[in-house]
Parts: sequence; C-alpha cells; structure tokens
Amino acid sequence: MIAGYAPEFILGLVVLVAGTIAVAFPQPKNYLTRLINLEIPAFGLLLLMLSYNEALALLTFGAISVLSTFIYVRVIQKKEAAA
Amino acid sequence: MDEIIMAASAILILIGMISAIVNLDPFDKLISLSILISGIFPFIVDRGLLDVAIALALIAPLSTVFILMACQKRASS
Amino acid sequence: MIAIYLCAIIAVYAALRIITERNTMRKLPFLNVISFAVTAIIALLLPHPLTILAAAAFFVGSTFESNAIASTWSGGMKRNG
Repeated sequence: MIAGYAPEFILGLVVLVAGTIAVAFPQPKNYLTRLINLEIPAFGLLLLMLSYNEALALLTFGAISVLSTFIYVRVIQKKEAAA
Repeated sequence: MDEIIMAASAILILIGMISAIVNLDPFDKLISLSILISGIFPFIVDRGLLDVAIALALIAPLSTVFILMACQKRASS
Repeated sequence: MIAIYLCAIIAVYAALRIITERNTMRKLPFLNVISFAVTAIIALLLPHPLTILAAAAFFVGSTFESNAIASTWSGGMKRNG
C-alpha cells in the first residue's frame, strides 16, 4: 500500500513502462528479441488491469495476447522464408 | 495478503523483468519470462479471481510454445 | 503459517540462483523449483475449495512450459523435417 494505491497498480506501472522501453529499443535488433520483449508489457498491463477487479476483462486480454503472439510468429516465419 | 508473500511475489516479478530485459540469449529470456509469469499468480489468487487464475495458467504456456516455434526455426538454419 | 513463508523464501532463493547461473541447462531445475514453490503458495493462500484446482492447473501449465523449453534447447522434437 504505497501512497494509497494497491501494490498491483504500482508494480504494473513499473513493468509496463520498463517493458515498453525494452520493446522500443531491443538490444540485439532483430524480430525475435522484439517479440519476446513484447510479452513483458502484456503482463504488466494484465497486472495493472488486475487492480480494478474485472474478471471478464482479464480472461479476454489473456486469450487475445496469446492469439496475437501466434499471428506474429506466423508473420515472422513467412517473412524470413521469403527473404 | 500477508506482507512477506506480497514482497516475495514483487521480488519475483522484478527479478523476472530485469533479467528478461538484460539477457541476450532467447532461451534465457524465455526462462526469465517464466519467472515473471510465476510472480503474477499469487496476486491473482489473492484477489479471489480463481477462474481467471485457472484459465490463465492453462493459456499462458501456449504463448511460450508459439515463441519456441520461431526459436527452433532460427536455431536450425 | 510457517509453511507458506518457507515456500516464499525458497522461491526467492531459486530466482536468485537462476540469475547468477551462466549455463542455460542448469537454470531449468531451478525454474521447476520456482514452479513448485508458487504452486504451494497458491494452494495455501486462501481457504477456498476451488484453490486446489487453480494450483493443479498452474502446476500442469508450468511443467509443460519448462519441458517445452528444455526439449527445444536440447534439439529434440523434429518438426516437419
């Protein structure tokens, strides 16, 4: 309980901001590192949405995050096969 | 939630986040991401959202498996 | 009440062992240790009958994920040639 906020809120903000910076400037600059770093702000946003007690929003967000990861992997494989 | 359990989960999340950003090998990054996911679950269970915890525990490893498909194609070639 | 504290201490110690380990293959048993400790924390946290089902689901998912990482790292699982 820091400054009146729930601990999930503070922790989610920290993870979201750090993960967004890591996605924007990946260290080995290729698609795979950027895709793995994209998982960090997804779970930060999930932790941030946890502090509002909405069960259906959490379920939908988790499912859509996995589905978008699958689509990104398919797009990267197709692009590397073409190049 | 108790203070010690909350502090341990926060430490687990911060260790996973920093290690996932700093490491360079994709497998090390996936292991660190698994630590971060493990740190999230006590917060979900403590809110009482047990159905969300069950669904997320069964859905979240599929994301890692999908990323491993891209890793395997890159490592073999 | 001492058991859940012990599980939290074990989880933090295994996480510290993972980030100080250099070899990738030696990190995977400590990932399993974190999985078991968090499963025990989930099972002991709330007195609710559905909690044991959540712990079982997390145990299955985390073990599946760790096995997938280990199997891909060691070069097994030949996929479509």
